[in-house]
Formats: sequence, structure tokens, C-alpha cells
Amino acid sequence: MTVETLDPIAKQADTTMPPKVSIENLAFFYGESKALKNISLPLHDRKVTAFIGPSGCGKSTLLRILNRIYEMYPKQRAEGKVVVDGLNILDKGTDLNMLRAKIGMVFQKPTPFPMSIYENIAFGVRLYERLGKEEMDERVESALRKAALWEEVKNKLHSSGLGLSGGQQQRLCIARTVAVRPEIILLDEPCSALDPISTAKIEELIDELKDDYTIAIVTHNMQQAARTSDFTAFMYLGELIEFGETKQIFTHPGKQQTQDYITGRFG
Amino acid sequence: MPQHIVQRYDDELKKLSTLIVQMGGLAESQLAAAVDAIVKRDSKLAEEVVRGDAKIDTLRNQVDDFAIEMLARRQPMAADLRVIVAALRISSEIERIGDYAKNVAKRAVALNQAPLVRPVHAIPRMAALVQALIKDTLDAYITDDAAKADAVWARDEEVDDLYTSLFRELLTYMMEDPRSITPCTHLLFIAKNIERIGDHATNIAELIHYTVLGEMPKEDRPKGDDTAYAVVNAPGGQR
Repeated sequence: MTVETLDPIAKQADTTMPPKVSIENLAFFYGESKALKNISLPLHDRKVTAFIGPSGCGKSTLLRILNRIYEMYPKQRAEGKVVVDGLNILDKGTDLNMLRAKIGMVFQKPTPFPMSIYENIAFGVRLYERLGKEEMDERVESALRKAALWEEVKNKLHSSGLGLSGGQQQRLCIARTVAVRPEIILLDEPCSALDPISTAKIEELIDELKDDYTIAIVTHNMQQAARTSDFTAFMYLGELIEFGETKQIFTHPGKQQTQDYITGRFG
Repeated sequence: MPQHIVQRYDDELKKLSTLIVQMGGLAESQLAAAVDAIVKRDSKLAEEVVRGDAKIDTLRNQVDDFAIEMLARRQPMAADLRVIVAALRISSEIERIGDYAKNVAKRAVALNQAPLVRPVHAIPRMAALVQALIKDTLDAYITDDAAKADAVWARDEEVDDLYTSLFRELLTYMMEDPRSITPCTHLLFIAKNIERIGDHATNIAELIHYTVLGEMPKEDRPKGDDTAYAVVNAPGGQR
């Protein structure tokens, strides 16, 4: 009898595949102050990687480097490499528009545009592609379906996105991200403004999305990291303390600091 | 029960119960094979049973590992919490059942080297009762049927009664014919092992009651094993 064949859910990480993203000796500076020190870790293809750690540990900073959104602010710079599909995205020649189409981001607070639900999604798509009406309709529908929002909004696509509940708005933002067909999705505290049911819906969504996308999630809720991710990175004071499979991190972490943090013993 | 919003959670709970049922089914067939080895005096089969116990142990480790992972990752509450905690305990109970079946098989090997004694016939009867207990317990587990679990719980008394009468029969036998002491002693232990398996099945039934209703059964289980107080006088006179 083989017990292994019974197991329909445990998709073991195939670490022999090259990672989708490889972060190598990454450092980051806000002016003179060093916010990230020598970070190296992979983001595995079509897996969820969670970043946990106390406030100020650098986890959001790290996420902001991955689509170079930090460049919108002065005096911020990154050193090291972030290799996505073999190319270092920190290189000067990187096309930022294409980069951000490939690597989508969803923020802490839902940020729908003050326009209709339909337009919220179509707007981003038009930045990158010219689609006919029918194709655009299809794209909008498929994005809303992927974000598990279609059934709730299909009869009011042309009413304002601002009229949706917080949880729906957040799923609208995820639909907007998915609509431009990214390969990687960055989620920065996507549930911190949501109630438990909306949070569960987003978590279910994350679980579905990872069939198609590589996902990185920053969360100060480490229970959420435990629930949603395949890999977990624990960061502290700008350093990566430990990176490993989520099961291992939450059942027998390798480092004392990780143990102290996840068990609530952090001094 | 309604499904979880996160579907994978349901998949995981299902996987956990599948592992438990698989473990239980394996333990049940180990017992059946061990008893078969006694009835047919088949030492080869007995040795297979002894080796087969490792599979149950492997499954037990798998259940524990998976349940611990679920506790860490899902932060289960209420009914889910009870299901997972019960799975951890049920896997230990089944693992013990496996150990007893293995012990029965080991003794079958010894028994087969001694002359046949008559009380052997009581063993398959007792085992059939206990196997039915295990089977019904597993059915109750799968269907979350607390009433069925409670019925199993009460039925263990029959096993105890049978054990008590076999105990007396074996003592009498040994007194009548000292050559039968070796096989009868093995039979006594075999009967005790099977009786203990029944006890573990009732423990599982209690855990099912707990899982479904949120509390352990309140009454004391009816018990029929009074061999701890048994005295059988030798035929033809006493001191």
C-alpha cells in the first residue's frame, strides 16, 4: 500500500525548478539609512511566499523593490540583484511599464479608481493593449471571475467601484491586477482592512490564483502567513533571519529568533 | 456541515479522516488475519501480520504529522478543532489496536507449535465481535454518527463477558491437564489482547461522541470483565 498516492493536496515544492524570482544579495537604502541588508532568497514559480516580521523589519520595502515602485520616491536606491526569468530587473535598461505589467501589486487599503467597476479593470488593460469591445468585455469578465467577484457584480458593472464593500473593493483591485495578465502578484497586507469573512474569501482566492501566478504576500498577521503560503520568510531589522517551507517554519523553525517571534516571545 | 470558504481546508480535513479510516481498516484486517493464523494454524500468515504492523505505525506518524501541520497552519476552532484533536488521539488508539493484533499473531506462532486445545474455538467468536466493534466505530467516524458510536461503546460489555467466561474455561482446562498449560496460557493472553482491542474501539467511540457533541460521554461504560476478581477452584478438593 502506498500512502503517497492518497495525497491529493500536498503539492510538494519542486525546488529543482528554477525559481521565478531570485533575489540575490539585495540591499536597500532610504538616503543614508540601510533598510535591507544582504537579502537572498527565491520566489518559487506558482507558489505563495509570505514575508513576516515585526513592523520596520523591511518586508514591505522588499516587496516594493520587486516592481521598482520605490523609484517614485527620491533618495531611495537598491543594490544587488533581483532576477526575474533570467533578467536582473534592477538594471537601468528595464522597461518599467512592462515590468509592472508583469509584476502586479495590491495594497493594504483597497484603492479602486473613482469610476465604474468595468472601467476600473479596463483602464489598466488599455495602458498595455488595444482590445476591441468584445475582447475587452471578455477580459473584464475573466478577471472578475478569477477574483471571485463576478457573481456579485455582473449586474452592476457600470455602477461605481466605490459603492462596493471593503472586501469587494479589495477583490476588485485583485481583478484589476489580474486583468493585465501579470506573472507575479505582490500583495501588501491585502486583508488588514477586512473582516474575517472577507479575509477568508481573499485567502481562498490566493489559493486559487497560485495555480497560475507566483505570489508574494507581506502580512503582519503570521496566522495568515501560515494559512496561505507555501514558503515563509521571517525578517527582522532589515535582515532575512530564516526562509523555508511554511510547514517547517511554523512547526519547527530552525532559528531561535523565528521561534521566539512566532510563539510570541519576542523580547 | 457547510463548507469552508477556503476549500483546501475541507480537502485537508477530508484527507485527515481518510487516513484515519485507512489506518482503522488496516488494523481491522490485521486482527482478522491474526485470528485466521490461529484457526488455520498458519505460522507464515502470523509472521506476515507481525511484519504488517509497521504500515499502521507509518500511517500513525503521517496522521500526527498532518494533524500538527493543520493545527499550526489553519488555527482550527470549535468543531474543526475537535476533529483534529480527536484525530491525533484516535490514531494512537488505532496504533495500539495494531500492536495487540501483532501480539496475537506472535502468540499464534507459539501456539501452533503446541498441541491443539479445545478452547481455541472461542477466539474467533470473540474476535468477530471485536472486529464488528471496530467496523461500526469506523462507520460512525465517517458519518459523524454519535448514536452509533454510543451503541458501540455499550456493546463492548459482550466482549468482556465472553472474555470472562473464556478465562474461567481456560483455568479449568489447565487444572485438568497440566500439558495444556503452555497453549492455554498463550490463549489467555490472546483473549486478553482481543479484549483490550475492544476497549480501544470504545475509546475511539468516546472520541467520536466528543467530536460530534463537544463533550465526552458522561456515564461510566458498562463493564463485564470481572476476571480481576476471579477464583476458580481446582477439581476434587481445596485447601
